[in-house]
Amino acid sequence: MATIKTLGLSKTYGTGESMVKALDGVDLTIEQGEFLAIVGRSGSGKTTMLDCMGLLMRPSSGAVIVDGTDASTLNDGQRAELRSKRIGFIFQEFNLLPTMSAMENILLPLRYSGGDRKAARIRAEGFLEEVGLAKRANHRPTQMSGGEQQRVAIARSLINEPTLVLGDEPMGEVDTDTANALLEFMRRINAERRVSFVIVTHDLDLAARTDRVIRLRDGHVISDERPSRQLVQRPAAAAAA
Amino acid sequence: MEILRNLWRRKLRTTLTVSGIVMGIFALTTMGSLAEHFNVLLGGGITYYGGSIQVTDDKSNGGFGAGAMSLDTLQKIQQVDGVLAAGPAVGTSAKPGSVSTVSFGVPDYIMNFDATTTAHSPFKISVASGAFPNDASRFQVTLGSTLASEFRKHVGDTIMLPVRPKDATSDFINHRFTVIGVLDQTLTAPDNGAYVSLHDAQMLLGESLPAALRGTVNPYQLITSVVAYGRPGVNLDALATRITAVVPGVKATKPSDLVSSFKSGGAIFTFMTTAAALLALIIGGLSVVNTMIMSVTERTREIGLKKAIGAKTRNILSEFVAESTAMGLIGGLIGFLLGMLMTFLLNNGDPSGGLFLITPRLTLIALVFAVALGAGAGVIPAMRAARMDPVTALRAQ
Ligand SMILES: Nc1ncnc2c1ncn2[C@@H]1O[C@H](COP(=O)(O)OP(=O)(O)OP(=O)(O)O)[C@@H](O)[C@H]1O
Ligand SMILES: [Mg+2]
Repeated sequence: MATIKTLGLSKTYGTGESMVKALDGVDLTIEQGEFLAIVGRSGSGKTTMLDCMGLLMRPSSGAVIVDGTDASTLNDGQRAELRSKRIGFIFQEFNLLPTMSAMENILLPLRYSGGDRKAARIRAEGFLEEVGLAKRANHRPTQMSGGEQQRVAIARSLINEPTLVLGDEPMGEVDTDTANALLEFMRRINAERRVSFVIVTHDLDLAARTDRVIRLRDGHVISDERPSRQLVQRPAAAAAA
Repeated sequence: MEILRNLWRRKLRTTLTVSGIVMGIFALTTMGSLAEHFNVLLGGGITYYGGSIQVTDDKSNGGFGAGAMSLDTLQKIQQVDGVLAAGPAVGTSAKPGSVSTVSFGVPDYIMNFDATTTAHSPFKISVASGAFPNDASRFQVTLGSTLASEFRKHVGDTIMLPVRPKDATSDFINHRFTVIGVLDQTLTAPDNGAYVSLHDAQMLLGESLPAALRGTVNPYQLITSVVAYGRPGVNLDALATRITAVVPGVKATKPSDLVSSFKSGGAIFTFMTTAAALLALIIGGLSVVNTMIMSVTERTREIGLKKAIGAKTRNILSEFVAESTAMGLIGGLIGFLLGMLMTFLLNNGDPSGGLFLITPRLTLIALVFAVALGAGAGVIPAMRAARMDPVTALRAQ
């Protein structure tokens, strides 16, 4: 089953003169375990696309289907519920709560999903271990570098074991080496747990290291390709595409 | 606790807001304890005066030591149909000439103790130690709790009564009395009383008269008023009217008139307490609203994030309301404790036992009020937070 699917997804902002068509009939299917990048010029509709897929925003028309559930049939409370159980978010500005330690930030989603705290704590410790922050569990965000904060934020997005993680320019605020390390971590999680990742990025080098690149322009998908790295590794598959 | 950490982050603002609540609850506590004190005081009066009929000379305007009556009037009152019992009341001031300062309380008095009629009173007094004087007692006194502690007297000690005023005239007379009992605290009139036998009370009344008058009357024929009790089922107001009509030269006050005058006295304090509560509501409430609006605005992104990770409207609502409620509770506790300290200090410096009374009921009202204030004032800003659109909130700077 597809992790997430959009059907004729459209979004217009404003009315009349100032009307902007940010998305215009996007059909997209993302399978379980895919690692995908969305690229496109500023204003092409990437953030809008992600907000709709993350059920943070209702499209003007079209549908978003998460794990087989048509989200347009759900009320706001049910959408929040679905979001907390199935979708993780990573943001450009990390968005960690300054009053909380790394561990508390990672466990914050549990407050709203009501999951098993003990099991989640063990998972959180595992994530911190994996990204080399095991000793930083009790540190506040202000005591950590940008890259460290983003690793904590990625762990937070994974804590409820979602099927999909959405990141809007998650590497936008860190240097290239850190960005590579973060991508590495996400790829590893993706490979180990079959969690689908959808990452918006401006960095075409980073995009090239994902499985699939969607290019948007003026709210349309203008290309949907498997980068060359895959070509090298799997020439047969690329030739078929 | 995330709530406390969030409050602690904005120390100055939280402090100011909590101070607003502290002031309000402080005012509520002190005013309320004043009111509680008078509620008990007046409550005692209502019980006592509501269950008995005060009969005075019809030329007097009531009160202690007013116009005097003769003893045979007492017998006439006892014979009125419906009267169960009637006893003499003879009272004088325990501290003559003392200007009662800003004391709202009952002035200290010396009164005869009449065992037979006291037994009929719905207002019960009892001794904490020792005993009451009887008809044969001479120069023996049972002190109210406030008088006993003011003069540090125990059973077996002696006390000069009435207390000599600083500017006593040459004809001032007092006597050495032996303390034979101390009353249980009532928080109302008897605390300020000194109870002696009828004979001694009449003697003191006679001696309190101006020197020129002393020779002309026999004090042992005088009483200041009569207290009458009705038979079971008899309407006391009607009985009072009957006594006034049947016995010449007396005026019996309807118990209901006295009770309603006590109640209107209490209304002033209820009003003062309500005013203090209103003050708390306005000062505390507005500062909570203001602080919470600022907090919501500052934390817009946090709200967006929480919504993105699955917080529902009611989750956000309750988080912010919990914060404002915590401020209410903290402010309420501090304000109440400060109020308690203040009333304690003021009461301590007051020889008559003090004007303030903190009751469990007042404690409950003050704290519940503070918490409700915090919660109530937090609701509107919290609603604003809870209803935010997650996308807009996340993009806020
Ligand atoms: N709230 C809004 N009101 C009106 N127009 C909006 C709003 N949000 C986005 N838009 C418009 O919709 C279009 C798509 O915006 P979107 O933020 O999705 O682009 P983007 O691809 O994420 O751009 P960037 O790379 O700069 O983040 C843009 O033209 C933008 O101006
Ligand atoms: Mg964007």
